[in-house]
Amino acid sequence: MKRKYGTVGTTVAVGLGLMMLTVAAAAVPGAVLGANGAASADATGAHTISVTVWQAALIGLGYYLANSPWLFGLAFFTLYRPLVAGLLVGLILGDPAQGTLIGAAINVPYLGFISAGGSLPADAGFAGWVGTTIALASGLDATKAIPIAFGLGLLGTIIFYGRMAIDSIFAHWADARAEKADIAGVALMNWLPGQILLFVISFVPVFVFALNGPTYVQDALNRLPLWTVNGLVIAGGILPAIGIALNMRFIFRGAAIPYFFIGFILMTATHQSMSLVVVAAIGLALAYLHLNFVRTPAEPKAETAGAAEPQASPAAAAATAEPGVRLTRGDLIRSWALWTFFAHANYNYERLQGTGFAHAMTPIIKRLYTTEDEIRAALKRHLVFFNTEPNFGNVVHGTVIAMEEQRANGAAIDDDAINSVKSGLMGPMAGIGDTLSQSTITPILLALGIGIAGGTASGSAVPANSGVTGNPLGPIIYTVLVSLVIVTIGYTAWMQGYARGRSFVTEILKSGAIDRVLVGAGVLGNMVLGALAAKFVIVNLAPTVTIAGAQLNLQASVLDPLFPGVLPLGLVVMTWWLLRRRVSPLALLAVYLVVSILAAYPFFGPGQKDSSDFSYQACTSSLLHQYYPCGAPPVPSAQP
Amino acid sequence: MSLRLVRIDDRLIHGQVVAVWLRALGAQRIVIVDDASARDAFLSEVLTLAAPQGVPVEVHGVAEGAVRLIELARTSEPVMVLARSPRTILGLRQAGVPIEVVDLGGMGSGPGRRRLHKTISVSPDELRELRELEQLGTRVEVQIVADDRPIPFRSLDSGS
Repeated sequence: MKRKYGTVGTTVAVGLGLMMLTVAAAAVPGAVLGANGAASADATGAHTISVTVWQAALIGLGYYLANSPWLFGLAFFTLYRPLVAGLLVGLILGDPAQGTLIGAAINVPYLGFISAGGSLPADAGFAGWVGTTIALASGLDATKAIPIAFGLGLLGTIIFYGRMAIDSIFAHWADARAEKADIAGVALMNWLPGQILLFVISFVPVFVFALNGPTYVQDALNRLPLWTVNGLVIAGGILPAIGIALNMRFIFRGAAIPYFFIGFILMTATHQSMSLVVVAAIGLALAYLHLNFVRTPAEPKAETAGAAEPQASPAAAAATAEPGVRLTRGDLIRSWALWTFFAHANYNYERLQGTGFAHAMTPIIKRLYTTEDEIRAALKRHLVFFNTEPNFGNVVHGTVIAMEEQRANGAAIDDDAINSVKSGLMGPMAGIGDTLSQSTITPILLALGIGIAGGTASGSAVPANSGVTGNPLGPIIYTVLVSLVIVTIGYTAWMQGYARGRSFVTEILKSGAIDRVLVGAGVLGNMVLGALAAKFVIVNLAPTVTIAGAQLNLQASVLDPLFPGVLPLGLVVMTWWLLRRRVSPLALLAVYLVVSILAAYPFFGPGQKDSSDFSYQACTSSLLHQYYPCGAPPVPSAQP
Repeated sequence: MSLRLVRIDDRLIHGQVVAVWLRALGAQRIVIVDDASARDAFLSEVLTLAAPQGVPVEVHGVAEGAVRLIELARTSEPVMVLARSPRTILGLRQAGVPIEVVDLGGMGSGPGRRRLHKTISVSPDELRELRELEQLGTRVEVQIVADDRPIPFRSLDSGS
C-alpha cells in the first residue's frame, strides 16, 4: 500500500489550514463583490445574522443530538447529515430556506460518507451544523460554504477519536457491574457516562464556534486578496465532484454505468431544471425494466464442502419444550428498542458495540435467568467485543436471543456455541448491511433530498444572490423515507432472526433478494447521482478561441454545443478514475482547492475593491456571471 | 505478487473489508483460511454469500489453504486472504505460503488481552506468534482502513 502521512496529524493539519484560509478569505463579503445590496442588514452589505447565546446553545445541542442515541438510533441517518442539519440550523437562525440550501450544498461532498468498524473519515455532522451556522450567519452563499464546511469536517473527527478512546473506560465500569450480577448497572454504564462525555465534548466546541465563528468571519475583512475569494467560488463548484465520485466508487459499475450518464444528460438537457423526484421515478421504472429484462451472467460463488445442516427453528424448539421460562413479545420489543437506541451510546475502541449489545440483552437476561451466577455469566458473556451493522445485522441478535431462551430451558448450548454465532455472523452481516444501508439506501435518498432541497432554479443549483431559496421539503422527505426504511429493516431482521434462526440468514442470502435489491438500487442510484452531478458540479472556463475572426468562449461556443455539460462530466469521471487509482480523497481536495484559487488570478486579475465596478465586471465574466447577473453599468467615474 | 492483502481480522468479511478494501485492492477473489469456519457448514455458507456479487469466496482449513494459496500465488490473479488469528497465518507461512506482509485489521479485546492500537488487541500467545512471523521474514503491520498509514507492529510491540 502507498505510504501516506499519519492520518490524524494530516487531517488535523489540513483541516486547520483549510479552515484558516477559507474563513479568512470568506470574510471578504458579498458586499465587496456586489451582492444584492437590497437585503443587507449591516454596513458590510451582506445579509448577516448575529447569533445569540440561545441560538448558539441550540445549535450545540443539535450537534450533540446528532451523535446521540436519543432519536431512536436514527440520528446518524438524519440530524447528522448536513442536509437535515442545514434545515434545523436555518430554523434556529430564522432562515430555514437558506439554511436548507446551504446544508444541501455542504452535503454533496459527503454523499460517499461511510462509517464502518469504528472509523470516521470526516465528521459530516460537524461540517453540517457548524458550517451552515457560519455560512448562514455571515451571509455567505452555499457555494462558498462548501470548502469551509469540508475543513470543519476534518476538524470534527477529533471529537470522535476522543470519545472512542475514553469510552473504553466505561466498558470496564460495566465489567465491574457485571461481576456483581448487576443488570441495571450494566445498562446504566452503557449510556450514562458515555453520553455525559459526549455532551460535553460536542456541545462546547460547537457552541463556541457558533457564537464566535460568524463574527470572526465578518471582522476579518480583506484579509486575503479578492481573487482568492473568487477561487473559493470556483472550488465550491468543483468539490462536489469529489463527493459524487466517492459515491460512484460503490455503485458506478457494470451494467449500471449507462444510467449515470442518462441521469446526467436528462438534467443537463433541461438546464438543471428537471425535478429530482421525476428523475428518481424514471430511475425506478428503468430499474424494474433492468431487473426483468437485462440478462446478467451467473456469478459463481464458491461451493462449500458439506450440505447445509437441517435447521430446526430455535424458537419453535423452545415452544415445544416443557414449560420453562418463555420470553414475551414485550421482552423482544424492549430488547430491540434498547439496541436501536443505545447500540453506539458507549461506542469505544476496545469493545466497539460490545456494551450496547449487553445493554440490549438486559431484558432478556432479566426474564431468563434468576440465580446470581447465571446472571453474572450472561452479562459477561455479552459484554465482549461486538460490532455489526446495527440494522440488517439484527439477525445476529435475534438468533442469539433464541439460543439464550433455549439454553435457559435446558438445551445443551454452551458459551462457545453462542459466541461462535456472534463472532461468525457479525462480520458478514456487517458486510452486507453496510453495503445496503450506508452505501446504497442512504446516498440514494440523500441525493433525492438534496435535489429537492436545491430548489428548482433553472440556473445552477446553488446560485448566489439570485433569490432562489432552498426547499425544506427536501430534508423532510429524506428524513421520513430513510427512517421508515432503516427501522423496517432493523425490526424485520431482529424478529426474523429470532423466529427462524440461522436459516433466515442463509435463505435470504441464497434467494438472491439482496442482490436484486442492490442491482435495482444501483440503477436508481446512478440515475440520481448523474442528475446531481449535472446540478452541482460547475465548471466554467473563461478561455476563448478565435474562430472565423470572432472571439468565442471555448466552452460555451465549442464544447457545450457538441455535448452539453461535457466539462463537468469530464471532471466527475476523471475524479472517479483518480479515486479508483487510490489517490487519497484528501489529496484531491487539497489539489482542487489550490487549483481553483490559482486559476482565479489569471481570469480576474488582482480583483477590484469597489463593489459596483466588480459586479459589473463579474457579470461579463463567463465564470461569475451566473452569480452576478448584469445590472446597470457603474457610473462613468468608476470605470477603469 | 498476487496475494494483494493478507489480513488478520477476527470478523473476517465485514463492512470495511467489503466496502473499502476490496475496491482499494482490486481483488477478485477472497480466500478465507480458518479451521473452525471450514468445519462449520453454516458459517462457510454465510461467508461465501457475504461478499459482493462477482467476487468468489473460498473457505479452507489451514492445511488445505496453504496448498491453495501456494497455487494462487503463482498466478497473477489478485487475491485477498483473510484469517482470524496470527496462528493461522503462522501456519500458512510455515507451510510455505509466500507472505511478505500481514495486516492486522481487527483483533477484538477481552480479558487478558492488551490493546495495541485502536481496535487491535493481542493475547500473550498472539504476541508470540506475531513476533515469530516477523522472524520468519514476514512484515507485520497495523492498517485498519485503506486510507490509514500502515503502522509497523514493531513500533507498537514494547516487549520485543
